[in-house]
Amino acid sequence: MRTEAIDPPGIDWHRVSPKFVTVRLVQWALGNLAAVVILSLPLVFVLLEWWRWPPLWLAITVPAVTLVVALWRLVLIPRQVRAIGYAERDDDLLVRSGIFFQRTMAVPYGRMQYVDVAVGPVERSLGLCTVKLHTASPGTNAHIPGLPEAEGARLREQLAARGEARLAGL
Amino acid sequence: MASADPAPAGSVPAASTAAADSAGPGVATPDDGWLRVHPASPFVRGWVALAAIGFFFGRDIFERTLQGRPMFEDGFAGRVPWLVAGGGAVLLVAVLSFVLTWYFTKYQVSGGYVRVNTGFLFRQQRQARLDRVQAIDIVQPLLARIFGLAELKFEVADAGESAVRLAYLKIDDAQQLRATILARAAGIDDDAENPGAPAPEAPEYPVLSVPPSRLIGSLLLSEQSLFVVVGGVASVVLSAVTDNRAFYFYLIPAALGLAASYWNLFNKGYNFTAAISPDGIRLRYGLLDTQAQTLPPGRIQALKISQPPLWRPFGWYRMQVNVAGYGLLDNAGEASSRTTLLPVGKLDDAMNMLALVLPDPGTSRPAEVFGAGLTGLDSDGGFVTTPRRARLLAPLGWRRNGFAATDTALLIRSGRWWRNLVLVPHQRTQSMALHQGPLARRFRVADLVLHTTAGPVVPRLTQAGLDEARALFDEQSARARLARQRQTTEQWLRQVAPPGADPDSQAAETWPLGNEAHQQQEGPQHG
Repeated sequence: MRTEAIDPPGIDWHRVSPKFVTVRLVQWALGNLAAVVILSLPLVFVLLEWWRWPPLWLAITVPAVTLVVALWRLVLIPRQVRAIGYAERDDDLLVRSGIFFQRTMAVPYGRMQYVDVAVGPVERSLGLCTVKLHTASPGTNAHIPGLPEAEGARLREQLAARGEARLAGL
Repeated sequence: MASADPAPAGSVPAASTAAADSAGPGVATPDDGWLRVHPASPFVRGWVALAAIGFFFGRDIFERTLQGRPMFEDGFAGRVPWLVAGGGAVLLVAVLSFVLTWYFTKYQVSGGYVRVNTGFLFRQQRQARLDRVQAIDIVQPLLARIFGLAELKFEVADAGESAVRLAYLKIDDAQQLRATILARAAGIDDDAENPGAPAPEAPEYPVLSVPPSRLIGSLLLSEQSLFVVVGGVASVVLSAVTDNRAFYFYLIPAALGLAASYWNLFNKGYNFTAAISPDGIRLRYGLLDTQAQTLPPGRIQALKISQPPLWRPFGWYRMQVNVAGYGLLDNAGEASSRTTLLPVGKLDDAMNMLALVLPDPGTSRPAEVFGAGLTGLDSDGGFVTTPRRARLLAPLGWRRNGFAATDTALLIRSGRWWRNLVLVPHQRTQSMALHQGPLARRFRVADLVLHTTAGPVVPRLTQAGLDEARALFDEQSARARLARQRQTTEQWLRQVAPPGADPDSQAAETWPLGNEAHQQQEGPQHG
């Protein structure tokens, strides 16, 4: 299904590194596989006849549904990573994400209070980092994951410099 | 900043080094500009501790007296020295800690900063820039009021806790300190010839007050009462159906809680008055505990006017605001009363308050536009609503969900029954985002969320047509950018004119404050 993007037309999006797919895969594996394994335990116990409850159909359905959902999420990951984008405009930074649930955020440089660069263990091994922007509003949840380290450092310096040039109060 | 302080040469070094020195043993003497809070304040704050000690020792005697037994049991005389020694020690420790807390709490206003040193074992020195003030409150709990004391709270945009809390000062001193802080924050320099002279309190002009009858009416007709009625009917029906009287017993704690909640709202909302002064909007309220808030100009980040369905026959409105300093207070009840700009008011009151918050409405027909925002449907007043194709998503609200932009603020209205109008000044927009889920995409609509500081107002434009939302996203970025460039310095040197001498005589289309009140001043952006 081709979906219409909600962001303003004519924007040249920078995409994040394709290697970020690996990071998401690790996250997916940690979260979803653990859930499937735990939810499968009742099935094992029922098959071993240690437990009398739940009934067999329920013990099968729950992990099966979880597995299907997890696989669906797995299939979506490359698409989701491709959907993440950012664009530096003259006065604000645009960050977009999502295809099914789309979000496009504009953060004016003058409103940025501070910029974080965070690196997790998996990201570090791939040479990636995450840049997070913070404004005075807790609602500004702008983070750009999966940036190559050099690009992350450049973006951080660029944002800091532009923020200083256009600093506004609250 | 020290150069801005024209205090005599002798006192300036002392004041500016005191913050560094006072960590050492040389405790600052009062004559270097450091002041202490009122000596009685630890007792007013710690009366609970003293009362607990009294209760602990007095209870036994009291109970014995009530039971008609001798006041002292047998063998009491032998234990008297121990009891007296124990009680005396506890009392001594309590009083000593009170005295030490008091002695080590000092404050100073100089050089564009307010500084507060607290703590005896764990010292804390805090300084806050005066021109970063978001709000100043003077709070008088009942006990402090009896002694003529008041607590002063100075809020900055950190939102964690009050930046400076001085408890307690004499009420006159607190008001004087507030006037000084506001005058310095506004950029009025100390009088060069007479540096110690107190800053005069800015004159203020009353704007409105809420009569107690209306407050009681609004509480009785609030959403809460609706739930009371529904809950009462449900429990009666349940007990009738199940033939079980026990349901009534469950109602007793609920009723107590409700009574406390109503009392709290009444206590906080009683005698609400609003006034305008050059220092900003002044709000005063409270029956037993009184509070006086000052919101300097331009500190309101977002505003919401709402009307529950039961208030509609009376034409009442409620106004709430987001102020950076009030954000996330630990005490939810306190936060809700401090973020209430108007607990209940008629349309005229709401419009008057709106004019104070937004001196420049940014449109030539303010009454029409804001009126349409409050009660209008469809495209009245230039509002752009949810397109007809998306009416299934909001069968009731689609004619009302909409937005309108004036030159100075974005208006977002919603709710057919629970009417809401949210207003965000362009220069207060932090960031914003467009959201769209699969269902919304099916109808080609999108949501636009404006991010503001933490508070009761969450500006979200729901189900706007995709093209309109996209256009608004771009236009709003541009408008916010322009507004930021125009943004005045945080020192509001320019005075706000008082409202018209006779507010009743104003024509419908004149904004309650005259237009001369809002001329944008060009000033250096603060760093």
